[in-house]
Amino acid sequence: MDLYFWIFAVMAVAAGLFTISSREPLSSGLGLLTVFIALSALYLHLHAPLVAIFQVTIYAGAILVLIVFVLMLLVSPGERMRDIQENASYRVMGGILGLTMLGLLAAGAKGVSDLICARSLPEGFGHPSGFGDLMFREYLLHFEVVSVLLLVALIGAIYLAKKRI
Amino acid sequence: MVTLTHYIVLSAVLFGLGAIGFAVRRNAIILFMSIELMLNAVNLSLVAFSRYRAELNGQVMVLFIYAVAAAEVAVGLAILISLFRHVREVDVTRFNILKW
Repeated sequence: MDLYFWIFAVMAVAAGLFTISSREPLSSGLGLLTVFIALSALYLHLHAPLVAIFQVTIYAGAILVLIVFVLMLLVSPGERMRDIQENASYRVMGGILGLTMLGLLAAGAKGVSDLICARSLPEGFGHPSGFGDLMFREYLLHFEVVSVLLLVALIGAIYLAKKRI
Repeated sequence: MVTLTHYIVLSAVLFGLGAIGFAVRRNAIILFMSIELMLNAVNLSLVAFSRYRAELNGQVMVLFIYAVAAAEVAVGLAILISLFRHVREVDVTRFNILKW
């Protein structure tokens, strides 16, 4: 299973480098998406399937869509869609991203395991039932506070985006 | 054999990349992406520690970090849109509207 780790680790680092070094913000976003997917594959390796699913839905889904949407709103007139499509780096990034998704699917189909470590895992580690049990017993107050935080952020974001400063 | 150290080093490298990106880039949206990169690096180390100690607490922490990151991105991008309306620019070196 070493190869699995190394593939996604190298992919995450390379995509991270691409994210911070790319000239255009949109290709940066593509690099960031690749980092998210590679990290989600590593979470599968670490026996955290639920976190891997959250990573794909929340980060690669919601947050990145928000970033790309704002990017599209604020894009400067020089960067038109045609220029983006003619750029070869997008094809490279698209290829890497496709390979990552393929690896993730293959890993999900085969089932990954075994980071060699000090303790053996309890039965059902990382499954939603234990996760929810811990969250609603130990961390109930935190959970409620987070819901208030999200509500405040939602209202604040609407207020800020509406008003002229 | 992949050990905890591998994951911690990977997490440190990703965090470093995010920090470098935050320091050297000037486009405000790329700064946001660098922050996300750093948050993801921290998440990776939390999940790795959770696996190493065989306790789920680290994974629950990751869920809270997700919520905070989502709130941060929503408010941050709203501020960015608001700023852009004002100065027509996303270059952070041009923002001096809080200056007297």
